[in-house]
Amino acid sequence: MTEKKRPSRAVDVLLILMMVLPLITAVVLNVLTAPAKEGIVIEGARVYYSANPDADLSQVFSTDFILTDAQINSWLVMISITGLCLFLTHGLQEHAVTVRQHIAEWIVEKVEGLVRANMGDFHVQSFSAFVCAVLGLSVFSSLMSLLGVFAPTSDLSVVGGWALLVFLVITGYKACCGPRIYVRTFTSDGAVVAALNVIGEVATPISMAFRHYGNVMSGAVIAVLVSAFLQWLSSVLLGWLPGVLGEIPFLQVGLPAILSVYFDLFSGALQAYIFSMLTMLYVSGGFPLEEYIKRHSHAEKSSVLAA
Amino acid sequence: MQSLGVISINIWQALISLANLVILFFVMKKFLFKPVRKVLEQRQAHVDGVYAQADEARAKAEADRDAWNARMQGAREEADRILSAAAENARLTGDAMIGEAKNRAQGILQEAEDEAEQTRRVAAQDIRREMAGLSAELAEKLLGREINEADHRQLIDSFLNELEEQHDTNQ
Repeated sequence: MTEKKRPSRAVDVLLILMMVLPLITAVVLNVLTAPAKEGIVIEGARVYYSANPDADLSQVFSTDFILTDAQINSWLVMISITGLCLFLTHGLQEHAVTVRQHIAEWIVEKVEGLVRANMGDFHVQSFSAFVCAVLGLSVFSSLMSLLGVFAPTSDLSVVGGWALLVFLVITGYKACCGPRIYVRTFTSDGAVVAALNVIGEVATPISMAFRHYGNVMSGAVIAVLVSAFLQWLSSVLLGWLPGVLGEIPFLQVGLPAILSVYFDLFSGALQAYIFSMLTMLYVSGGFPLEEYIKRHSHAEKSSVLAA
Repeated sequence: MQSLGVISINIWQALISLANLVILFFVMKKFLFKPVRKVLEQRQAHVDGVYAQADEARAKAEADRDAWNARMQGAREEADRILSAAAENARLTGDAMIGEAKNRAQGILQEAEDEAEQTRRVAAQDIRREMAGLSAELAEKLLGREINEADHRQLIDSFLNELEEQHDTNQ
Protein backbone atom coordinates (compact mmCIF):
# COMPACT_ATOMS: atom_id res chain seq x y z
CA MET A 1 0.00 0.00 0.00
CA THR A 2 2.89 2.30 0.68
CA GLU A 3 4.20 1.55 -2.78
CA LYS A 4 3.00 4.32 -5.03
CA LYS A 5 3.48 3.27 -8.61
CA ARG A 6 3.43 5.91 -11.25
CA PRO A 7 1.94 5.04 -14.63
CA SER A 8 4.64 4.48 -17.20
CA ARG A 9 5.66 7.50 -19.22
CA ALA A 10 5.94 5.78 -22.60
CA VAL A 11 2.33 4.59 -22.53
CA ASP A 12 1.27 8.05 -21.39
CA VAL A 13 2.96 9.66 -24.35
CA LEU A 14 1.30 7.22 -26.73
CA LEU A 15 -2.10 7.87 -25.21
CA ILE A 16 -1.64 11.63 -25.35
CA LEU A 17 -0.68 11.27 -29.00
CA MET A 18 -3.84 9.22 -29.45
CA MET A 19 -5.80 12.16 -28.05
CA VAL A 20 -4.04 14.95 -29.90
CA LEU A 21 -3.18 13.45 -33.29
CA PRO A 22 -6.80 12.96 -34.43
CA LEU A 23 -7.53 16.62 -33.70
CA ILE A 24 -4.46 17.76 -35.65
CA THR A 25 -5.47 15.42 -38.45
CA ALA A 26 -8.91 17.00 -38.56
CA VAL A 27 -7.42 20.49 -38.82
CA VAL A 28 -4.93 19.47 -41.50
CA LEU A 29 -7.60 17.65 -43.48
CA ASN A 30 -9.83 20.69 -43.29
CA VAL A 31 -7.10 23.05 -44.44
CA LEU A 32 -6.13 20.79 -47.33
CA THR A 33 -9.63 20.30 -48.65
CA ALA A 34 -11.34 23.58 -47.80
CA PRO A 35 -12.26 25.55 -50.90
CA ALA A 36 -11.70 29.29 -50.86
CA LYS A 37 -14.88 30.92 -49.65
CA GLU A 38 -16.20 34.11 -51.15
CA GLY A 39 -18.89 36.07 -49.39
CA ILE A 40 -21.52 34.39 -47.31
CA VAL A 41 -21.33 30.65 -47.83
CA ILE A 42 -23.35 28.42 -45.56
CA GLU A 43 -23.17 24.82 -46.54
CA GLY A 44 -23.34 21.37 -45.03
CA ALA A 45 -20.71 18.71 -44.68
CA ARG A 46 -18.20 18.31 -47.47
CA VAL A 47 -18.38 15.02 -49.31
CA TYR A 48 -15.06 13.22 -49.49
CA TYR A 49 -16.34 10.13 -51.19
CA SER A 50 -19.57 9.25 -52.87
CA ALA A 51 -20.54 5.81 -54.17
CA ASN A 52 -22.62 7.51 -56.83
CA PRO A 53 -20.70 10.57 -58.11
CA ASP A 54 -23.52 11.64 -60.41
CA ALA A 55 -26.06 11.99 -57.61
CA ASP A 56 -27.45 15.40 -56.78
CA LEU A 57 -26.10 16.05 -53.31
CA SER A 58 -28.17 19.12 -52.62
CA GLN A 59 -31.35 17.14 -52.06
CA VAL A 60 -32.71 16.84 -48.54
CA PHE A 61 -32.90 13.06 -48.31
CA SER A 62 -30.37 10.76 -49.94
CA THR A 63 -29.69 7.06 -49.73
CA ASP A 64 -26.37 6.87 -51.58
CA PHE A 65 -23.37 5.85 -49.56
CA ILE A 66 -21.27 8.93 -48.90
CA LEU A 67 -18.43 9.84 -46.63
CA THR A 68 -18.37 13.42 -45.39
CA ASP A 69 -16.04 15.40 -43.20
CA ALA A 70 -18.72 15.28 -40.49
CA GLN A 71 -18.30 11.55 -40.42
CA ILE A 72 -14.52 11.66 -40.55
CA ASN A 73 -14.40 14.24 -37.78
CA SER A 74 -16.79 12.13 -35.76
CA TRP A 75 -14.45 9.16 -35.99
CA LEU A 76 -11.47 11.32 -35.10
CA VAL A 77 -13.33 12.59 -32.04
CA MET A 78 -14.11 9.04 -31.04
CA ILE A 79 -10.47 8.04 -31.29
CA SER A 80 -9.58 11.07 -29.23
CA ILE A 81 -12.17 10.25 -26.57
CA THR A 82 -10.99 6.65 -26.43
CA GLY A 83 -7.45 7.93 -25.92
CA LEU A 84 -8.70 10.20 -23.17
CA CYS A 85 -10.48 7.33 -21.42
CA LEU A 86 -7.41 5.13 -21.63
CA PHE A 87 -5.21 7.95 -20.41
CA LEU A 88 -7.45 8.75 -17.45
CA THR A 89 -7.77 5.12 -16.39
CA HIS A 90 -4.11 4.28 -17.01
CA GLY A 91 -2.47 3.25 -13.78
CA LEU A 92 -5.56 3.29 -11.61
CA GLN A 93 -4.94 2.09 -8.10
CA GLU A 94 -6.86 1.77 -4.92
CA HIS A 95 -4.89 4.52 -3.24
CA ALA A 96 -5.40 7.36 -5.71
CA VAL A 97 -2.28 9.46 -6.22
CA THR A 98 -2.69 10.90 -9.69
CA VAL A 99 -4.78 13.84 -10.78
CA ARG A 100 -6.08 11.88 -13.73
CA GLN A 101 -7.48 9.19 -11.49
CA HIS A 102 -9.34 11.83 -9.54
CA ILE A 103 -10.69 13.20 -12.79
CA ALA A 104 -11.74 9.72 -13.97
CA GLU A 105 -13.46 9.02 -10.67
CA TRP A 106 -15.07 12.45 -10.73
CA ILE A 107 -16.48 11.82 -14.21
CA VAL A 108 -17.84 8.41 -13.28
CA GLU A 109 -19.36 9.59 -10.05
CA LYS A 110 -20.89 12.70 -11.61
CA VAL A 111 -22.46 10.77 -14.48
CA GLU A 112 -23.74 8.13 -12.09
CA GLY A 113 -25.16 10.88 -9.89
CA LEU A 114 -26.86 12.43 -12.91
CA VAL A 115 -28.36 9.10 -13.91
CA ARG A 116 -29.42 8.38 -10.35
CA ALA A 117 -31.10 11.77 -10.02
CA ASN A 118 -32.97 11.47 -13.31
CA MET A 119 -33.68 7.76 -13.65
CA GLY A 120 -33.42 6.26 -10.19
CA ASP A 121 -31.04 3.71 -8.73
CA PHE A 122 -32.28 0.90 -10.93
CA HIS A 123 -30.64 2.24 -14.11
CA VAL A 124 -27.33 3.49 -12.69
CA GLN A 125 -25.37 0.33 -13.35
CA SER A 126 -26.60 -0.24 -16.89
CA PHE A 127 -27.19 3.26 -18.20
CA SER A 128 -24.35 5.45 -16.91
CA ALA A 129 -21.88 4.46 -19.61
CA PHE A 130 -24.42 5.23 -22.34
CA VAL A 131 -25.18 8.66 -20.92
CA CYS A 132 -21.47 9.32 -20.60
CA ALA A 133 -20.97 8.29 -24.24
CA VAL A 134 -23.76 10.60 -25.42
CA LEU A 135 -22.40 13.48 -23.36
CA GLY A 136 -18.81 12.96 -24.39
CA LEU A 137 -19.44 12.46 -28.08
CA SER A 138 -21.83 15.39 -28.27
CA VAL A 139 -19.66 17.83 -26.31
CA PHE A 140 -16.43 17.00 -28.09
CA SER A 141 -18.11 16.96 -31.50
CA SER A 142 -19.52 20.43 -30.88
CA LEU A 143 -16.16 21.64 -29.58
CA MET A 144 -14.55 20.61 -32.88
CA SER A 145 -15.78 23.92 -34.24
CA LEU A 146 -13.25 25.60 -31.94
CA LEU A 147 -10.55 24.09 -34.14
CA GLY A 148 -12.16 25.67 -37.18
CA VAL A 149 -13.30 22.37 -38.63
CA PHE A 150 -16.81 21.21 -39.40
CA ALA A 151 -18.48 20.13 -36.17
CA PRO A 152 -20.16 16.74 -36.62
CA THR A 153 -23.10 17.90 -34.53
CA SER A 154 -24.00 20.54 -37.10
CA ASP A 155 -24.79 17.76 -39.53
CA LEU A 156 -28.34 16.52 -39.28
CA SER A 157 -27.47 12.95 -40.26
CA VAL A 158 -25.03 12.52 -37.42
CA VAL A 159 -27.35 13.81 -34.73
CA GLY A 160 -30.23 12.00 -36.44
CA GLY A 161 -28.35 8.72 -36.06
CA TRP A 162 -27.93 9.34 -32.34
CA ALA A 163 -31.59 10.23 -31.97
CA LEU A 164 -32.52 7.06 -33.83
CA LEU A 165 -30.44 5.03 -31.42
CA VAL A 166 -32.06 6.79 -28.46
CA PHE A 167 -35.45 6.02 -30.00
CA LEU A 168 -34.50 2.35 -30.28
CA VAL A 169 -33.32 2.32 -26.68
CA ILE A 170 -36.52 3.98 -25.49
CA THR A 171 -38.62 1.50 -27.43
CA GLY A 172 -36.50 -1.37 -26.20
CA TYR A 173 -37.00 -0.37 -22.59
CA LYS A 174 -40.70 0.27 -23.13
CA ALA A 175 -41.18 -3.14 -24.72
CA CYS A 176 -39.05 -5.08 -22.27
CA CYS A 177 -42.12 -6.53 -20.56
CA GLY A 178 -43.58 -7.91 -23.75
CA PRO A 179 -45.55 -6.38 -26.65
CA ARG A 180 -48.84 -6.42 -24.72
CA ILE A 181 -47.61 -3.96 -22.12
CA TYR A 182 -45.92 -1.91 -24.83
CA VAL A 183 -49.12 -1.53 -26.85
CA ARG A 184 -51.07 -0.71 -23.72
CA THR A 185 -48.89 2.36 -23.11
CA PHE A 186 -50.41 3.84 -26.29
CA THR A 187 -53.97 2.60 -26.19
CA SER A 188 -54.81 2.99 -22.53
CA ASP A 189 -56.58 6.34 -23.09
CA GLY A 190 -58.71 5.60 -26.14
CA ALA A 191 -58.24 5.62 -29.90
CA VAL A 192 -57.77 9.36 -30.48
CA VAL A 193 -55.17 9.65 -27.77
CA ALA A 194 -53.52 6.51 -29.12
CA ALA A 195 -52.97 8.20 -32.47
CA LEU A 196 -51.51 11.23 -30.74
CA ASN A 197 -49.33 8.97 -28.66
CA VAL A 198 -47.93 7.29 -31.75
CA ILE A 199 -47.23 10.66 -33.36
CA GLY A 200 -45.59 11.83 -30.16
CA GLU A 201 -43.48 8.70 -30.02
CA VAL A 202 -42.22 9.25 -33.56
CA ALA A 203 -41.72 12.95 -32.95
CA THR A 204 -39.39 12.30 -30.03
CA PRO A 205 -36.25 11.40 -32.01
CA ILE A 206 -37.00 13.96 -34.72
CA SER A 207 -37.37 16.77 -32.20
CA MET A 208 -34.23 15.67 -30.36
CA ALA A 209 -32.21 15.53 -33.58
CA PHE A 210 -33.43 18.90 -34.85
CA ARG A 211 -32.96 20.57 -31.48
CA HIS A 212 -29.36 19.54 -31.21
CA TYR A 213 -28.49 20.05 -34.86
CA GLY A 214 -30.34 23.35 -35.08
CA ASN A 215 -28.63 24.88 -32.09
CA VAL A 216 -25.14 23.99 -33.18
CA MET A 217 -25.81 24.84 -36.83
CA SER A 218 -27.36 28.19 -35.95
CA GLY A 219 -24.22 29.03 -34.03
CA ALA A 220 -22.16 28.30 -37.12
CA VAL A 221 -24.53 30.35 -39.29
CA ILE A 222 -24.40 33.31 -36.95
CA ALA A 223 -20.61 33.06 -36.84
CA VAL A 224 -20.47 33.21 -40.64
CA LEU A 225 -22.93 36.09 -40.80
CA VAL A 226 -21.15 38.11 -38.12
CA SER A 227 -17.82 37.43 -39.75
CA ALA A 228 -19.10 38.57 -43.15
CA PHE A 229 -20.71 41.64 -41.64
CA LEU A 230 -17.51 42.61 -39.87
CA GLN A 231 -15.57 42.14 -43.06
CA TRP A 232 -17.95 44.43 -44.86
CA LEU A 233 -17.84 46.95 -42.01
CA SER A 234 -14.09 47.11 -41.93
CA SER A 235 -13.88 47.52 -45.69
CA VAL A 236 -16.32 50.44 -45.42
CA LEU A 237 -14.74 52.10 -42.40
CA LEU A 238 -11.09 51.29 -42.96
CA GLY A 239 -10.99 50.90 -46.73
CA TRP A 240 -9.32 54.29 -47.14
CA LEU A 241 -6.12 53.01 -45.55
CA PRO A 242 -3.37 52.76 -48.15
CA GLY A 243 -2.31 49.55 -49.81
CA VAL A 244 -2.62 46.20 -48.07
CA LEU A 245 -3.77 47.76 -44.79
CA GLY A 246 -7.13 48.60 -46.31
CA GLU A 247 -7.76 44.97 -47.18
CA ILE A 248 -7.16 43.56 -43.70
CA PRO A 249 -10.51 43.11 -41.89
CA PHE A 250 -9.35 44.51 -38.52
CA LEU A 251 -12.84 44.44 -37.05
CA GLN A 252 -12.94 40.67 -37.39
CA VAL A 253 -10.44 40.49 -34.53
CA GLY A 254 -12.10 39.97 -31.16
CA LEU A 255 -15.86 39.86 -31.53
CA PRO A 256 -16.08 36.47 -33.30
CA ALA A 257 -13.99 34.97 -30.52
CA ILE A 258 -16.40 36.27 -27.89
CA LEU A 259 -19.37 34.94 -29.83
CA SER A 260 -17.54 31.65 -30.17
CA VAL A 261 -17.40 31.32 -26.40
CA TYR A 262 -21.18 31.28 -26.36
CA PHE A 263 -21.99 29.40 -29.55
CA ASP A 264 -19.21 26.83 -29.46
CA LEU A 265 -18.46 26.30 -25.77
CA PHE A 266 -21.65 27.12 -23.93
CA SER A 267 -24.20 26.12 -26.52
CA GLY A 268 -22.32 22.95 -27.41
CA ALA A 269 -22.14 21.81 -23.79
CA LEU A 270 -25.72 22.86 -23.14
CA GLN A 271 -27.08 20.91 -26.11
CA ALA A 272 -25.11 17.84 -25.12
CA TYR A 273 -26.56 18.13 -21.62
CA ILE A 274 -30.09 18.60 -22.95
CA PHE A 275 -29.74 15.68 -25.34
CA SER A 276 -28.54 13.29 -22.66
CA MET A 277 -31.10 14.64 -20.18
CA LEU A 278 -33.94 13.99 -22.63
CA THR A 279 -32.55 10.53 -23.31
CA MET A 280 -32.64 9.71 -19.61
CA LEU A 281 -36.08 11.18 -19.06
CA TYR A 282 -37.65 9.44 -22.06
CA VAL A 283 -36.14 6.10 -21.16
CA SER A 284 -37.02 6.22 -17.48
CA GLY A 285 -40.44 7.68 -18.32
CA GLY A 286 -41.23 4.92 -20.77
CA PHE A 287 -39.80 2.08 -18.70
CA PRO A 288 -42.50 0.19 -16.74
CA LEU A 289 -40.36 -0.29 -13.66
CA GLU A 290 -43.03 -1.73 -11.37
CA GLU A 291 -44.18 -4.24 -13.97
CA TYR A 292 -40.56 -5.19 -14.62
CA ILE A 293 -39.77 -5.67 -10.96
CA LYS A 294 -42.96 -7.66 -10.49
CA ARG A 295 -42.06 -9.99 -13.33
CA HIS A 296 -38.44 -10.12 -12.33
CA SER A 297 -39.17 -11.02 -8.72
CA HIS A 298 -41.80 -13.49 -9.95
CA ALA A 299 -39.21 -15.11 -12.19
CA GLU A 300 -36.77 -15.24 -9.29
CA LYS A 301 -39.43 -16.79 -7.10
CA SER A 302 -40.28 -19.45 -9.65
CA SER A 303 -36.60 -20.25 -10.18
CA VAL A 304 -36.21 -20.61 -6.43
CA LEU A 305 -39.23 -22.93 -6.35
CA ALA A 306 -37.87 -24.93 -9.24
CA ALA A 307 -34.54 -25.26 -7.49
CA MET B 1 -15.37 19.24 -53.83
CA GLN B 2 -19.09 19.03 -53.29
CA SER B 3 -20.98 19.88 -50.17
CA LEU B 4 -24.25 18.60 -48.82
CA GLY B 5 -27.16 20.89 -48.31
CA VAL B 6 -27.41 22.53 -44.89
CA ILE B 7 -30.54 20.61 -44.08
CA SER B 8 -29.97 17.17 -45.50
CA ILE B 9 -30.08 13.69 -44.19
CA ASN B 10 -28.29 10.69 -45.55
CA ILE B 11 -29.37 7.30 -44.37
CA TRP B 12 -25.87 5.84 -44.43
CA GLN B 13 -24.45 8.72 -42.50
CA ALA B 14 -27.17 8.32 -39.89
CA LEU B 15 -26.57 4.59 -39.56
CA ILE B 16 -22.82 5.04 -39.27
CA SER B 17 -23.39 7.71 -36.66
CA LEU B 18 -25.69 5.37 -34.75
CA ALA B 19 -23.03 2.70 -34.85
CA ASN B 20 -20.48 5.25 -33.68
CA LEU B 21 -22.49 5.99 -30.58
CA VAL B 22 -22.91 2.30 -29.84
CA ILE B 23 -19.17 1.77 -30.24
CA LEU B 24 -18.39 4.70 -27.99
CA PHE B 25 -20.85 3.31 -25.42
CA PHE B 26 -18.85 0.08 -25.29
CA VAL B 27 -15.59 2.03 -25.19
CA MET B 28 -16.83 4.07 -22.23
CA LYS B 29 -18.13 1.00 -20.51
CA LYS B 30 -14.97 -1.01 -20.94
CA PHE B 31 -12.27 1.61 -20.67
CA LEU B 32 -13.73 4.14 -18.26
CA PHE B 33 -16.57 2.78 -16.15
CA LYS B 34 -15.40 -0.78 -15.62
CA PRO B 35 -11.89 0.04 -14.32
CA VAL B 36 -13.03 3.01 -12.27
CA ARG B 37 -15.89 1.09 -10.69
CA LYS B 38 -13.52 -1.76 -9.93
CA VAL B 39 -11.12 0.57 -8.17
CA LEU B 40 -13.95 2.24 -6.28
CA GLU B 41 -15.26 -1.13 -5.15
CA GLN B 42 -11.80 -2.20 -4.04
CA ARG B 43 -11.43 0.99 -2.07
CA GLN B 44 -14.86 0.55 -0.54
CA ALA B 45 -14.01 -3.00 0.45
CA HIS B 46 -10.71 -1.85 1.92
CA VAL B 47 -12.38 0.95 3.86
CA ASP B 48 -15.04 -1.43 5.15
CA GLY B 49 -12.29 -3.80 6.22
CA VAL B 50 -10.43 -1.05 8.05
CA TYR B 51 -13.59 0.05 9.79
CA ALA B 52 -14.38 -3.51 10.82
CA GLN B 53 -10.84 -3.91 12.18
CA ALA B 54 -11.12 -0.65 14.08
CA ASP B 55 -14.45 -1.69 15.60
CA GLU B 56 -12.99 -5.02 16.57
CA ALA B 57 -9.94 -3.42 18.13
CA ARG B 58 -12.07 -0.97 20.05
CA ALA B 59 -14.34 -3.72 21.33
CA LYS B 60 -11.30 -5.70 22.43
CA ALA B 61 -9.77 -2.68 24.12
CA GLU B 62 -13.00 -1.99 25.95
CA ALA B 63 -13.24 -5.60 27.09
CA ASP B 64 -9.62 -5.46 28.29
CA ARG B 65 -10.30 -2.24 30.13
CA ASP B 66 -13.35 -3.71 31.85
CA ALA B 67 -11.42 -6.81 32.80
CA TRP B 68 -8.58 -4.74 34.21
CA ASN B 69 -11.00 -2.55 36.11
CA ALA B 70 -12.60 -5.63 37.62
CA ARG B 71 -9.21 -7.03 38.58
CA MET B 72 -8.12 -3.72 40.05
CA GLN B 73 -11.30 -3.58 42.07
CA GLY B 74 -10.68 -7.12 43.34
CA ALA B 75 -7.09 -6.31 44.21
CA ARG B 76 -8.16 -3.23 46.12
CA GLU B 77 -10.69 -5.22 48.14
CA GLU B 78 -8.10 -7.89 48.80
CA ALA B 79 -5.63 -5.27 50.03
CA ASP B 80 -8.25 -3.74 52.31
CA ARG B 81 -9.09 -7.14 53.71
CA ILE B 82 -5.44 -7.96 54.36
CA LEU B 83 -4.86 -4.62 56.02
CA SER B 84 -7.84 -4.92 58.31
CA ALA B 85 -6.90 -8.51 59.20
CA ALA B 86 -3.39 -7.41 60.04
CA ALA B 87 -4.71 -4.58 62.21
CA GLU B 88 -6.99 -6.98 64.05
CA ASN B 89 -4.17 -9.42 64.52
CA ALA B 90 -1.91 -6.71 65.90
CA ARG B 91 -4.61 -5.56 68.26
CA LEU B 92 -5.16 -9.09 69.58
CA THR B 93 -1.43 -9.67 70.01
CA GLY B 94 -1.02 -6.38 71.82
CA ASP B 95 -3.94 -7.14 74.14
CA ALA B 96 -2.50 -10.52 74.90
CA MET B 97 0.90 -9.05 75.65
CA ILE B 98 -0.56 -6.38 77.84
CA GLY B 99 -2.65 -8.95 79.74
CA GLU B 100 0.37 -11.15 80.33
CA ALA B 101 2.41 -8.20 81.51
CA LYS B 102 -0.37 -7.22 83.90
CA ASN B 103 -0.54 -10.75 85.29
CA ARG B 104 3.17 -10.90 85.80
CA ALA B 105 3.17 -7.55 87.51
CA GLN B 106 0.34 -8.74 89.72
CA GLY B 107 2.30 -11.85 90.61
CA ILE B 108 5.41 -9.86 91.43
CA LEU B 109 3.39 -7.52 93.62
CA GLN B 110 1.76 -10.46 95.39
CA GLU B 111 5.10 -12.05 96.04
CA ALA B 112 6.47 -8.81 97.37
CA GLU B 113 3.48 -8.37 99.66
CA ASP B 114 3.73 -11.96 100.90
CA GLU B 115 7.40 -11.55 101.60
CA ALA B 116 6.74 -8.32 103.44
CA GLU B 117 4.07 -10.02 105.51
CA GLN B 118 6.37 -12.88 106.31
CA THR B 119 9.10 -10.53 107.35
CA ARG B 120 6.70 -8.55 109.46
CA ARG B 121 5.47 -11.69 111.19
CA VAL B 122 8.99 -12.91 111.90
CA ALA B 123 9.88 -9.49 113.19
CA ALA B 124 6.76 -9.45 115.40
CA GLN B 125 7.63 -12.84 116.89
CA ASP B 126 11.19 -11.72 117.57
CA ILE B 127 9.93 -8.61 119.19
CA ARG B 128 7.44 -10.60 121.26
CA ARG B 129 10.14 -13.01 122.40
CA GLU B 130 12.44 -10.15 123.16
CA MET B 131 9.79 -8.34 125.14
CA ALA B 132 8.91 -11.47 127.15
CA GLY B 133 12.51 -11.95 128.11
CA LEU B 134 12.90 -8.29 128.95
CA SER B 135 9.77 -8.09 131.00
CA ALA B 136 10.67 -11.27 132.93
CA GLU B 137 14.04 -9.91 133.68
CA LEU B 138 12.49 -6.62 134.63
CA ALA B 139 9.94 -8.22 136.93
CA GLU B 140 12.60 -10.42 138.54
CA LYS B 141 14.61 -7.41 139.31
CA LEU B 142 11.60 -5.56 140.59
CA LEU B 143 10.26 -8.35 142.72
CA GLY B 144 13.62 -9.66 143.66
CA ARG B 145 12.57 -13.09 143.42
CA GLU B 146 12.65 -15.82 140.98
CA ILE B 147 9.42 -16.33 139.35
CA ASN B 148 8.45 -19.24 137.44
CA GLU B 149 9.50 -18.53 133.99
CA ALA B 150 6.84 -20.63 132.42
CA ASP B 151 4.07 -18.95 134.30
CA HIS B 152 5.50 -15.65 133.56
CA ARG B 153 5.67 -16.29 129.82
CA GLN B 154 2.07 -17.35 129.87
CA LEU B 155 1.09 -14.19 131.66
CA ILE B 156 2.92 -11.98 129.23
CA ASP B 157 1.55 -13.81 126.25
CA SER B 158 -1.94 -13.29 127.47
CA PHE B 159 -1.20 -9.67 128.08
CA LEU B 160 0.28 -9.21 124.62
CA ASN B 161 -2.61 -10.98 123.03
CA GLU B 162 -4.89 -8.64 124.84
CA LEU B 163 -2.84 -5.74 123.56
CA GLU B 164 -2.96 -7.05 120.04
CA GLU B 165 -6.69 -7.57 120.22
CA GLN B 166 -7.06 -4.09 121.55
CA HIS B 167 -4.87 -2.84 118.77
CA ASP B 168 -6.85 -4.79 116.13
CA THR B 169 -10.16 -3.52 117.36
CA ASN B 170 -8.81 0.01 117.41
CA GLN B 171 -7.77 -0.31 113.87
